[in-house]
Amino acid sequence: MTGTGGPDTPAIAVDGLWQVFGEGARPALSELLTPGAATTDGVARRLKEQGLIPAVQDASFTVKEGELFVIMGLSGSGKSTLIRCMSRLVEPTGGSVLMAGEDILAASKRRMIELRREKLGMVFQHFGLFPHMSVIDNVAFPIKMKGVGLKERRARAMEVIELVGLGGREDAYPRELSGGQRQRVGIARSLAVNPDVWFLDEPFSALDPLIRRQLQDEFLNIQATLRKSIVFITHDIGEALKLADRIAIMRDGVIVQIGTPSEIVLNPVDDYVGEFSRDIPKGRHMTLAALMEPVRGETDAGGPELRTAMTLDDALSACALTFQPMAVRDGDGKVVGVLRPEALARAVGEAHSS
Amino acid sequence: MTARSPLKGALDSKGKQAAALVVLVGLVCLLATPYAPWLVAWPSVLTVPMSDWISQGLGVFFEAIKPAMRWVSWVLGFGMAGANWLLVSTPWVVVIGVTTAIGWYLGGLKMAALGFFGLLFVLASGYWVESMNTLALVFVSVPLALLLGTAIGILAYEVSRVKKAVEAVLDLMQTIPTFAYLTPLLLLFGFGPVVGLIASAIYAAPPMARNVLLGLERVDSDIKEAAVMSGGTRAQQLFLVELPSAMTQIMVGVNQSLMAALSMVIIAAVIGGFNDIGWEVLLTMRKAQFGQSFLAGLVIVVFAIVIDRMSGALAQERRRYSTRVVWWIIVASLVAAIALRDILPAAGTLSYFGGVADTVDQSVGDFTRNYGSTLDTVKNTAMFYVLLPLRIGLDDAVLPFTWGFQWTSAMSAWVYAIGVVVAAVLAWQGRLTLGLCLLVLIGVIETGVTQLPWIFVLVGVGALGWVSSGWRLSVLCVGLLGLILISGLWDRALLSLYLSGAAVFTCAVLGGALGLWAAVSTTAWAVIRPVCDMLQTIPLFVFLIPMLMFFQIGEFSAFLAIIAYAIVPMIRYTRHGLVTTPDDMIEAATSSGATEWQILREVRAPYAAPTILLGLNQTILYAFAMLVIAALIGTTGLGQSIYIALGRADVGLGITAGAAMAMLALVADRLVQGFAEERRNALGL
Ligand SMILES: Nc1ncnc2c1ncn2[C@@H]1O[C@H](COP(=O)(O)OP(=O)(O)OP(=O)(O)O)[C@@H](O)[C@H]1O
Ligand SMILES: [Mg+2]
Repeated sequence: MTGTGGPDTPAIAVDGLWQVFGEGARPALSELLTPGAATTDGVARRLKEQGLIPAVQDASFTVKEGELFVIMGLSGSGKSTLIRCMSRLVEPTGGSVLMAGEDILAASKRRMIELRREKLGMVFQHFGLFPHMSVIDNVAFPIKMKGVGLKERRARAMEVIELVGLGGREDAYPRELSGGQRQRVGIARSLAVNPDVWFLDEPFSALDPLIRRQLQDEFLNIQATLRKSIVFITHDIGEALKLADRIAIMRDGVIVQIGTPSEIVLNPVDDYVGEFSRDIPKGRHMTLAALMEPVRGETDAGGPELRTAMTLDDALSACALTFQPMAVRDGDGKVVGVLRPEALARAVGEAHSS
Repeated sequence: MTARSPLKGALDSKGKQAAALVVLVGLVCLLATPYAPWLVAWPSVLTVPMSDWISQGLGVFFEAIKPAMRWVSWVLGFGMAGANWLLVSTPWVVVIGVTTAIGWYLGGLKMAALGFFGLLFVLASGYWVESMNTLALVFVSVPLALLLGTAIGILAYEVSRVKKAVEAVLDLMQTIPTFAYLTPLLLLFGFGPVVGLIASAIYAAPPMARNVLLGLERVDSDIKEAAVMSGGTRAQQLFLVELPSAMTQIMVGVNQSLMAALSMVIIAAVIGGFNDIGWEVLLTMRKAQFGQSFLAGLVIVVFAIVIDRMSGALAQERRRYSTRVVWWIIVASLVAAIALRDILPAAGTLSYFGGVADTVDQSVGDFTRNYGSTLDTVKNTAMFYVLLPLRIGLDDAVLPFTWGFQWTSAMSAWVYAIGVVVAAVLAWQGRLTLGLCLLVLIGVIETGVTQLPWIFVLVGVGALGWVSSGWRLSVLCVGLLGLILISGLWDRALLSLYLSGAAVFTCAVLGGALGLWAAVSTTAWAVIRPVCDMLQTIPLFVFLIPMLMFFQIGEFSAFLAIIAYAIVPMIRYTRHGLVTTPDDMIEAATSSGATEWQILREVRAPYAAPTILLGLNQTILYAFAMLVIAALIGTTGLGQSIYIALGRADVGLGITAGAAMAMLALVADRLVQGFAEERRNALGL
């Protein structure tokens, strides 16, 4: 029962996933979900009337190979429940989760253990370190589960410990570490088996802002080299925008919008999403791709080097002294559009004043 | 309709309705008893001979499994002989050395000193061999208890369907009086130390099971999930992650289990047949050699403290001390044992405190001779003016030769009349429940607890159950008491109820006051706390010794022993409840201009109420536990029945009386828990 997907198969495909808590949730849901029945909202309302808690409602999305997919939402919106469904720490009430084409909800207990030993890694908000084990034993634990010998697993554990910058502290116990260091251990442990899919449930939420920023940067570095398929949970929009390839926003168990960071900031589907990005300086997240106009005739080739992926802030500083329309190039250097300085100034002004 | 509505309006709460019902039933009983004596004494034709049935049933069953049990007994006897041989034949220098070394490892210099001097005291007391015999029993029973307890704890944790049932069984096991364990075991295994061994293994398992379950449940969910995501199988998760993570709590279980085992081993000495320290206490007590029995009791206390503090250190997450020192101490003691083997005296031959024992005897003798009349006055005052009236009622207890006059029915009428007037005044002030309760109280004191009509008791307890938690509890309580009633143990149950009730009441008042004092004054707590610690470490048995010394055999000594043992939780919980009121509540009250005293009354006390009730609950359970032990120094009631059953090897009586005791404890426990729960809910905790 290995994956059946080809090269284009997404790393994770979640479809119509429901998680309903409470006694008798499964029959209640399957009765309500008969074809042609009510909308998601309607079903959820009916479930609540029966005293059940629909923590995740009809979630569908895909995570591409090597993509960093962030799920964001307020406390209690069902993020943890969603990620626990995907890792099958809780048994979803309905829907399907495919990983590399394999339906993991249909996987046997044995297969699930196998998957966790080979393919899945998870980082927890409160670290979940084993208090009675030293750092290296914590990190080596998943490898030990695979039955790898002591020497080999220690060597591998040391590798990841170095990777997260904890070299030299491998014999310490969790209680002797600071919060930031503990989460490094958590990260190292989740990477120990070199998983394909990496789940992180608010990994940095329990840390203070400075350490958080530092760990975010290191996390991005690690991801740049490892290119895992990641599901990352946060309730901090800044963190989401900084890290994400794509963001899914959850409210009360429902995914209300999925999009790239700039889509989320620029085109929020409703006030709830808009409220998140209200205080976000748009100049930092909006790219030129959203602002440029089509090429008409010649552009000034001598202007500053502008790229589609540049943020407005960067573009502004690059062309502070230019008054001519300027060429915008794509990643390969080909001219794909024109930027008028007025447009830039106006856009930045708007973004900052909003 | 119109006639009923004012009544309905007056009885607008559960409490008032229940109290009114009880008063009504009490009134009816009062008027009817002269014409219907069966209201007080349950007719013997309706008594079900449960004891006999159980005796016969179990007799058959026991015969069937006896061969298997003899085999178990043989195996255990083997293990015990081994442990015994090891402890007794090892030179005492080495035993002391190893204990000191363990002490060092667990708690550094302080703990090492405790181990060293503690055992030195045991050695010098001349009770070395007896002590090692006791220790051998503990050493064999505790591993069994730990294994059993861990298995039960894991079972309850893993199989959520049986959890409730397991917890109920654990509750029951801890309310069954210690002596009651012994009788069936005695029948199965015959006289000898194996009975004590098995009894203590069974008795010490529940605390372990509880703590294992609690510890496992408390493991952080992130840790559990991390184990799952690491790809561990269920067994790997449990044994490699969850159990080790719960270790601190489990060590609390080990500590409690050790103490329970020690306590039971010493209690089991009443069976005899084994030369252990408990037996020594019992023997000297019976011979009225209080000096010696005091000394032996002291040895037990020292043992208890050493074991408790050392195993308690296990439950603390502190760094362990250097193993180098540990080895040095052990090697040094070995060397000493070899080098000095001709000089050092044999362990049993030492007796430096013989003089002390004599002195104690002497001074107790002098004291009782000089102050005997004072002691007697204390005792007689308490007996004649408090305990006896409570037991048989004012109408029988007030006699010319104690009170100076004869109680007449006119006096009864007066007392009731005054009660009714006071109750009416209270009702008029809007405190109807209080007034009704006062009437009930007067009725009880007038009649005497042991002469209460059974209907009145059943209705009263049922009403309490209803108020405390609802119909189900009410039915449960009445059902359990009904069982006792028809089993023919009712009289004895009421006797037990009276004595423990009096003791619990005293504990509640005295312990509550001490707890309050400890809460407001840190100096007071600094004094009270070590005393409490001490009292909680002492095995039950030992409480009897000082009481016997000064007040001889009798109900009063038992009463005092119960109080001394059962008062501790009341003090602790009262203080704890009062001092743990959240700071922001205190600050809010302070900033509203409340004085210290107002804060105590208006904020701390209501907040502490659930905790204090739990303390009361513990006190009740402790009192029942001690009540049975106190049968050794002369109480009547169920405790005595259990003790007699043990002497006669009468399983039926032992089990029914033990069960009756457990039922009483269970009823009291559920009632108080119900009230505590209700308070907690009211506070939104
Ligand atoms: N085992 C459970 N039983 C019942 N309800 C649950 C359970 N687990 C979660 N819930 C409910 O599901 C909802 C979503 O919870 P969830 O933990 O997924 O939120 P979250 O978005 O992760 O919040 P946070 O940011 O606080 O971690 C909450 O209302 C919660 O009360
Ligand atoms: Mg969460």
